[in-house]
Amino acid sequence: MSATQGLLWLLALIALGLCLKRSVSMAIRAGRDGAHSLVRVLPLFTVALPMAAFLAELVPADIAEGYLGPESGLRGILIASVAGGFIPGGPFVSFPLVLTFTKAGAGVPQMAALVTGWAIYGFHRVIAWEVPVLGWRFVAIRMLAGLALPVLTGLGVSWLLPWFPGALVRP
Amino acid sequence: MPAILRQNLAFILLLAIGIAAAVATYALRGEAAFRHALESAGSTFVFILPSIVGGLLLAGALKQLVPAGALAKWMGAEAGVRGLVIATLAGMATPGGPMAAFPLVLVLAQAGADRGALVAFIFAWSLNGFQRLLIYEVPLLGTEFTLMRVLLTLPMPILAGWLSRLIPIRWQPPA
Repeated sequence: MSATQGLLWLLALIALGLCLKRSVSMAIRAGRDGAHSLVRVLPLFTVALPMAAFLAELVPADIAEGYLGPESGLRGILIASVAGGFIPGGPFVSFPLVLTFTKAGAGVPQMAALVTGWAIYGFHRVIAWEVPVLGWRFVAIRMLAGLALPVLTGLGVSWLLPWFPGALVRP
Repeated sequence: MPAILRQNLAFILLLAIGIAAAVATYALRGEAAFRHALESAGSTFVFILPSIVGGLLLAGALKQLVPAGALAKWMGAEAGVRGLVIATLAGMATPGGPMAAFPLVLVLAQAGADRGALVAFIFAWSLNGFQRLLIYEVPLLGTEFTLMRVLLTLPMPILAGWLSRLIPIRWQPPA
């Protein structure tokens, strides 16, 4: 277990302790909620991780390196932002894909733009949820307001990267 | 579409892409690459499993400590930058996928939250929802990357919410 994982478990135990202090039934509800999420999430991981690993074998290294590599600069950030919007599904798809691209040579600012593009544009979410619930006009307002954010994130990460040398370093 | 069907849809889709990628790997890259992919998936799984369980426990406990009913009350019809900040914090605190968040957005809209607050809420949830950070991003991409990305994107929902108030498109919340 790494130091990060230890910290995560410490926080979890503190939060559980706070629940327990309120009432025993609240702590049980918290534990049951966690177990319930685990049952929901584990099957997704067991298929998503092999999928990402097989895709990693298939994606030619020079594609990720060329179009999304550290040298691709603003062009790579733009490509990654738009590509992120087209990633279907939840975080169990997007984050394993980032790992795949990183192993294949993608740059950190480009991957930050990819994650942000997925979070901001997320076209699958717009079609399945936002349009039916809030309507096209609201989607237009939100998209205009957030249009530049994935690119800004990519540029910001290029600027911040010297202070975070351990970001996305693969073992 | 019920939530259970959506979940299974994701599972089926991932499985189908995974099988297609596995067959293609075996056919195009050979047995060694196939084996290598399986081993790498297995070791990643073992590596992130403690984080997943710890993150889920933390998320489950926080969910109990921050009741969902409090969100609408705190935001209410408040406008101004203060409303955007509250909406951003509420968005980050909202656990779960779109099946949880968008019904809540509708409730907030009907409770009188303005478009800026709604935009800030959606962006804060999709960019930096605490549950996603704990369960997925920290275990898979590491603390340093997550920290750097969160630091940068933290003010963005407030900025976008403020911008959305200036965009001259007329919109009424659905009745």
